Amino acid sequence: MTNLWLVTRRELRERGRSKGFIISSVLTVAILLGIILIPQALGGDAATFEIGAVGEGNEQIVEAARQFEAGLAADEETEPDIFEVTEFSTAQEGEDFLRRGDIEVLLIDGSSAVIAQQGFGGNELVERLQRAAGASRLQALMAENEQVASEVVEVLSNDPLEVRSLSGPGSDNAESSVIAYAGLVLLYIAILTYGNTVLTGVTEEKNNRVVEVLLATLQPWQMLGGKVLGIGILGLAQFALTMAAAFAAIRITGAVSLPAFDLETVGVLVLWFLIGFAIYAALYAAAGSLTSRTEDAQSAALPMTMLAVVGFFVSFSVLDDPASLVARITTFIPFTAAFVVPIRNSLGAISWAEHALAVVVAVGAIVLLVLLAARIYAGGLLRFGGRVRIKEAWRTGD
Amino acid sequence: MLGFLGPNGAGKTTAMRTVFGLVNPDRGTVTWNGREIGPEERMRFGYMPESRGLYPKMKVADQLTYFGRLHGMDSREAAKAANELLNRLGLADRALDQTEKLSHGNQQRVQLAAALVNEPELLVLDEPFSGLDPIGVSTLAEVLAERAERGAAVIFSSHQLDLVEDLCEDVVIIRQGQVVQTGAVEKIKDASPVRHLEIELADGLAPGLDGLEEFVSAREGNRIYLQVPADLDVRPLMSGALATGSVRRFVYTTPSLSEIFLQAVK
Repeated sequence: MTNLWLVTRRELRERGRSKGFIISSVLTVAILLGIILIPQALGGDAATFEIGAVGEGNEQIVEAARQFEAGLAADEETEPDIFEVTEFSTAQEGEDFLRRGDIEVLLIDGSSAVIAQQGFGGNELVERLQRAAGASRLQALMAENEQVASEVVEVLSNDPLEVRSLSGPGSDNAESSVIAYAGLVLLYIAILTYGNTVLTGVTEEKNNRVVEVLLATLQPWQMLGGKVLGIGILGLAQFALTMAAAFAAIRITGAVSLPAFDLETVGVLVLWFLIGFAIYAALYAAAGSLTSRTEDAQSAALPMTMLAVVGFFVSFSVLDDPASLVARITTFIPFTAAFVVPIRNSLGAISWAEHALAVVVAVGAIVLLVLLAARIYAGGLLRFGGRVRIKEAWRTGD
Repeated sequence: MLGFLGPNGAGKTTAMRTVFGLVNPDRGTVTWNGREIGPEERMRFGYMPESRGLYPKMKVADQLTYFGRLHGMDSREAAKAANELLNRLGLADRALDQTEKLSHGNQQRVQLAAALVNEPELLVLDEPFSGLDPIGVSTLAEVLAERAERGAAVIFSSHQLDLVEDLCEDVVIIRQGQVVQTGAVEKIKDASPVRHLEIELADGLAPGLDGLEEFVSAREGNRIYLQVPADLDVRPLMSGALATGSVRRFVYTTPSLSEIFLQAVK
């Protein structure tokens, strides 16, 4: 135990004060703050849309769009976007302006719209005008009854259906999936980053041959365990620092309105970070012990990286449907659980029993994997030269 | 101090590794003071492997302290031992440098220090002298002699047989994993079936070799080299030479360790 702690302590001290670690910590926090703060600084000002018009019947559409925007801006307490209209006598003239980029959309006779290029994901202005055009048609149809007509736009500017989720409050807003999504991305980056640190750390010790001196007094499991623990603690510290900075920035600026500081979500993220890291770190350490050169390490670790990538993509489908069969199955596969469970949790789509069972399965898998990895590690460490075959390492690892 | 000798591939490194459990022997056990060696014993050993290994980015003093602690010392003891060793090895001014900034020879001294830091009762060194300049060799030899003096058992392998002959009381010579010669250096040499003889007389004179011509191995000017059986009585030859009244040189010795080594591993 003393030795395990000594190895852990060395990792903490040497890595914790290395330039690489300090720089990467500062960078991660800076990038995340940038992502949160820059749109905040740039946004806030109202956008101005330039619209061209030819013929009759365009004014009503733009007017309806203005009304929609006014309602929306009042709800969100922001400045309403501005719609500016330029009249053209011929469509030809308007198209020239469109081509030069002076206007974004050209409305013709209140019945068609011309844009310069069809972009990916559609055109926001066109969508707004589309909705406004619908409203102004209805308005015209109901012109006989003036009271109804004036209410049409108001009715259409709100979502008439109230949406409620069976899984309870807090899970029916987009914000929890934002947290789930952000947590997922961070988890994925953290597991891959620190898993790779373990990988290269092991290979480096083998590469500079310090293993032989170490193994004279240390057991392979102490070396493996200490390294994984040390890097894990540092990783968690960096992860926590980043999360804390992000939460603080969000709360101060109100960039995304958070449901009151949610300790449970964060606690679950941290728990699954630890589980995910332990699983992948054990595998990475075993892979690292099979190679003596840093160049070979990445290829030895490729299967692990692929597993993580698969887990990451599976969790996107879980984000769409957190109660699907895929979501339920991958909850109990240790390699994907770390990505899937936190999402299901923050979307409120996992029961306590299911969650607890997933933790038990994953922790059981960790024990098995560490034993397995320790044996491969023991067998791989003192074989220098090219790649060691797993079978060979397994045989001599006893 | 024991010299552990054998040609390349004889199994020296493998044998040394078995002491530290880095290789499991196919047969047999490794014992120390009559007991099979386990983790506890290894805490009191020091090891300098053939393939040198240190953490390149760690500071020299930190590195030694770490190895000391891995051998069960507390942090104050380990730091103190590290400092003393660095002083002894002339590296005191490099204590706070990263190990990789040191020259090859100095890194080798640090490696030695790593093996010595816990004041081991058994010191196993695989080729400790290779790659050192003569000053490094003599510092290392001194330090090893000191440790042996203080009661440590020192085993080292080397191909520099003159050095082994100077330093070691005992040697073991192995070939293909088998011990072919073992014992005190002087005894092994005495047991050799041959002796060397060098005779040089004044100009123009030649000793009467009386039928020993077949043993002459070389002539150089007035000097004659012979390789004679150990049981040959050389007294007549000596008195014959003395009778000429102008002996410049008359040397009768056992063969050197190198010769015994070459003979043993042939």
